[in-house]
Amino acid sequence: MAGQKPPPESHGDDGPPPPDTGMGMTAVSYLFAGMLVWGGIGWLVDHYVGTKGIFAGIGAVVGAAGGVYLIVRRLGA
Amino acid sequence: MIGPSTVLAAEFPPSVEDFYLPSILPWGAHDSYWFTKITVLVWVAVAAIIIFFLVSYRKPQLVPTKKQWMAESAYGFVRNNIAIEMIGPRGINFAPYLTTLFMFVIVMNFFSIVPFIQISPNSHIAFPAILAVISYVMFIVVGIRHHGFFKYLKTALIPPAPWFILPLLIPIEFFSNFLVRPFSLAVRLFANMFAGHMLLLVFTLGGFAMINANAWLAPISVVSWLMTIALTFLEFLVICLQAYVFTVLTASYVQGALADEH
Repeated sequence: MAGQKPPPESHGDDGPPPPDTGMGMTAVSYLFAGMLVWGGIGWLVDHYVGTKGIFAGIGAVVGAAGGVYLIVRRLGA
Repeated sequence: MIGPSTVLAAEFPPSVEDFYLPSILPWGAHDSYWFTKITVLVWVAVAAIIIFFLVSYRKPQLVPTKKQWMAESAYGFVRNNIAIEMIGPRGINFAPYLTTLFMFVIVMNFFSIVPFIQISPNSHIAFPAILAVISYVMFIVVGIRHHGFFKYLKTALIPPAPWFILPLLIPIEFFSNFLVRPFSLAVRLFANMFAGHMLLLVFTLGGFAMINANAWLAPISVVSWLMTIALTFLEFLVICLQAYVFTVLTASYVQGALADEH
């Protein structure tokens, strides 16, 4: 870097939003968080009811769907 | 303390034990980790950064000296390419903290490839964990001061969605924003430095293990040590990348806390 320019002053608060603010990480974390949270809740339900994993499975799928929905709403256009 | 003879005698498959270095004070005490090489390195990093920035900016010149130019480049890089790029115009307020964070992480990481030092304090999870906690507390406080407590919780937890899906989404938001973030921040840095040190140990000690086992394996030992050198350069890449990633993600969380609803 040969000499740093002063920061661009041109756009105020209503300028374009900053590009790619760690969006990849956010998307991945939503997907995993969804599966873990609802899979975990399903697992607890399994434990409580006495089933062998059906609710954990359903929970993981539902959580993944929720995660995808969140990615679309938060990060999509 | 650690001479060539002990290196030769070091057990080959390196283990977690290799990250717990002998105690310096009290000298050579067993199971005492209050003052080790790691402790020294942390304070050396802190002192080096403070002294470097103080000295290089003591008599600022309009046409910068070499030292001043280096310090200004480091600050300018973080300010322009991380703080403002990520957070926007308000990023200037966070540039000093982000620069400090970046410099601290990169110097701490850099110890892992300096000859005769060759271990990074960041390969112990305590140090990345504290840095992650600072970033975590900071972005929450920034969000609360910007929005107010309840409004911040609302923007952070309640996505724009119809009411009947919200019970499904709010736990996910909470988990991903307030539990995964500090954890992944700390673990990413720790795991990279841990794995890097382990990799170098495997190839260095593996060379010794082979040459000790059978003299005919000497050429392969040499290959193993050449690999160590090559991996040291790879490690340099990881060092810079992880310092950058840590800073960028901190900036990105601050940006998320400052963002208005859209």
